[in-house]
Amino acid sequence: MSKIKMPDKGKRVRASKLERRDYKWIYLFLLPSVVMFLMFYFVPILTMFFTSFTKWDGFNAPVFNGLDNYTRLFSNPAFVISVRNLIAWSLIGIFLHVGFGVLVALILYHKPRGWKFTRAVFMIPNVISAAAWALIYKFIFNNEMGVLNNLIRMISPDFNVQWFYTSPYAFWAITFTWLFYAVIVTLVVLGDLMAIPEELNEAARIDGANQWQITTRIHLPLCRNAIGTSIICTVTSRVAMYEAIQLTTAGGPGDDTMNTPLILVKAIMDMNNGYANAAGVVMFLIGVIIMVIINKVMKMNEPVY
Amino acid sequence: MKKLLALVMAAALVFSMAACAGNNTSSGSKESSKTESKTESKTESKTEESKTSEGGDSGKLVEINLPTFKAGENVGAVFFLPQVERFNKMYEGKYKINIEEVPQASYSEKIKQLAQQKKMPVLMHTGVDNEWFKKVAIPNGFAYDLTDWYNNTPTKKFFIQDSVEYSTRDGKLVTAPAAVTRPMGLFYNSDLYKPEKAVHDMTVDEFIASLGDSKIAFQTADNAWCSMLFLSDLVANEEGGIEILKNNVDDKTSDFNQPAIVNAVTKLQKILQENASANSVGAAYADAANNFMSEGSVVILNGPWMSADFAPDSSDKWSNNFDGANVHADLLPGNIGLANTRGWGEWWVSAYATDEEIELAKAWLDFVNSQEELEAYMLAEGGSCPNMEYSENFLAKQGETQVLADLSAAINDKTQFTPSILDIMPTSVGETEVGKMLPQLIDGTLTPEQFCEQLSAKAADALA
Repeated sequence: MSKIKMPDKGKRVRASKLERRDYKWIYLFLLPSVVMFLMFYFVPILTMFFTSFTKWDGFNAPVFNGLDNYTRLFSNPAFVISVRNLIAWSLIGIFLHVGFGVLVALILYHKPRGWKFTRAVFMIPNVISAAAWALIYKFIFNNEMGVLNNLIRMISPDFNVQWFYTSPYAFWAITFTWLFYAVIVTLVVLGDLMAIPEELNEAARIDGANQWQITTRIHLPLCRNAIGTSIICTVTSRVAMYEAIQLTTAGGPGDDTMNTPLILVKAIMDMNNGYANAAGVVMFLIGVIIMVIINKVMKMNEPVY
Repeated sequence: MKKLLALVMAAALVFSMAACAGNNTSSGSKESSKTESKTESKTESKTEESKTSEGGDSGKLVEINLPTFKAGENVGAVFFLPQVERFNKMYEGKYKINIEEVPQASYSEKIKQLAQQKKMPVLMHTGVDNEWFKKVAIPNGFAYDLTDWYNNTPTKKFFIQDSVEYSTRDGKLVTAPAAVTRPMGLFYNSDLYKPEKAVHDMTVDEFIASLGDSKIAFQTADNAWCSMLFLSDLVANEEGGIEILKNNVDDKTSDFNQPAIVNAVTKLQKILQENASANSVGAAYADAANNFMSEGSVVILNGPWMSADFAPDSSDKWSNNFDGANVHADLLPGNIGLANTRGWGEWWVSAYATDEEIELAKAWLDFVNSQEELEAYMLAEGGSCPNMEYSENFLAKQGETQVLADLSAAINDKTQFTPSILDIMPTSVGETEVGKMLPQLIDGTLTPEQFCEQLSAKAADALA
């Protein structure tokens, strides 16, 4: 068997003529994405950064006001609550939402009876929009006619809780609108599980490993990238979570279920677009920081095998 | 070959998207692009279509598209769409208005986006985003000056002077003033609630006492419309309350800690805790209306346009033996009618419309403000035209609609008209913040003083 010659570390390798010809095609195929990114993402992001330092009504020329928008934002009690909520939702997302998705993936990996059907059923909530789910949950948690309270009243007839409109239940009611819909996590992790060579499982069994050891010592470590990707998706979804809140509590009661996108939209309603964009910049930075941290923690840039 | 084909397809995708983005149409609809192409600035080159439409005098048809939320399921569509048809019939061969349905929630955004490109429709509704209209549209000269039209229209005598003054900015009439005012009051189910005297002759305390165990349909979601109308009445009944409501419409207020408002909120808290319908917390307007029309509550506060819901052809909305014929209307306790006469009229015209389109817009404004159309409007959606001598036919027909006749009879020389408290709140506070805080006022998490303090802080933040 011939050895593959690896280039010396740090030494620049000149691409072959064939490779250079391929690069041309690679660049050409990348062009649509790059053009679209520049048009629809990069320019708006630049505009957002620039106008976040201005007082701007969204139409007339922006007027530079330094860090005023950021000072206002960080001293806004609703923003402080938003950050607190984001941390709580992120932790719940990482441990419960992703954990549940991984658990389902591990179960489906063993292909129990009816696993394809279960996977399809598990997929259904994902094709229903977040807005529709919010309204469905509004009915589920309705005090008068909601399924939940009517079930509880079978045991405790005087039970009355306005889940979406009372502290501290509103936070958990919002959490339940997304907590168990982890099909993306399941599919991503299941994909990685399916890609694990069967030889690894056989070797482990021959070495006397039980199923728990195979799962914890082989399967989960080999799904590290998929789990990391899932965590990034989950946490960034929490940063941008808007419909589920707006259509149920609108951030209330009081500011209990506030999230930064709600502050952003509210500012636009008041024609404080500069302030809204400051909130947008903070969301953007939070998203980037989270990605960097998770990339590091999950060692996503290192090869798994 | 495959690579080449794929590249061509990818390039086509990019360029088609770029082309879409380059089109100045925000909605992407065929209709709007047509309208927009016709509403090119007079100072810019006219479009091909506009050039061929050389105005009514030459016999060519002038046609515009009118984006409106008064279409489809919107309650205003019942009167508005036939009105447009009547206009089209009256000016057949000369002018034609095509309706473009826009959801009410997106209307304001659509107009703003079109305004950025100076391609607004010829005719636009006001009242959707007053702050934008005041701070952006008027200073940037988007609104056509209707002064000449106002001075020459035969309908001039009908317009409310307060509205004429309010609509005049820097000597320009930026909206067609309002001719009709539609004071909001309350509706009650006389099958379940029989007040000993007219509600408008009662004090708030008398009114609440007269209810006994009966409930009022309140709501907390969205802008908490029904609850805020009641709060407005409570504020208006406090000393200095009417002045607060009247004096802060233009610039909004961030001071809700004034005694009149704190006292009113204190009363509202008690009423919400004791007399609110069971579904009030979290209810949107539709839930409150549904509660009233299913006999879950006996009173609901709203404007005269709700009369359509009590007509026999709306009986599909009724349940639990509710009968619209039993509904009566009245002004609010303390003889208060909620109406803001110092406001814009319903229509404004784009300054970028062509001459022919401006003529069409003026014809439309003459048409909708004619006595026949105003009377038809008031019969359909209620209201009164203080400067009009009503026809006998109108008076007879108004008497046939119980709630409109009730409201008309309730207005007397002691009636005080005042804006709603939502009119003095910054947009975000009125649209969402107050509704978010009401559940906490109801469950006692917030005292009335805390409620007012937080409302003031939210308003100050919005106005900063």
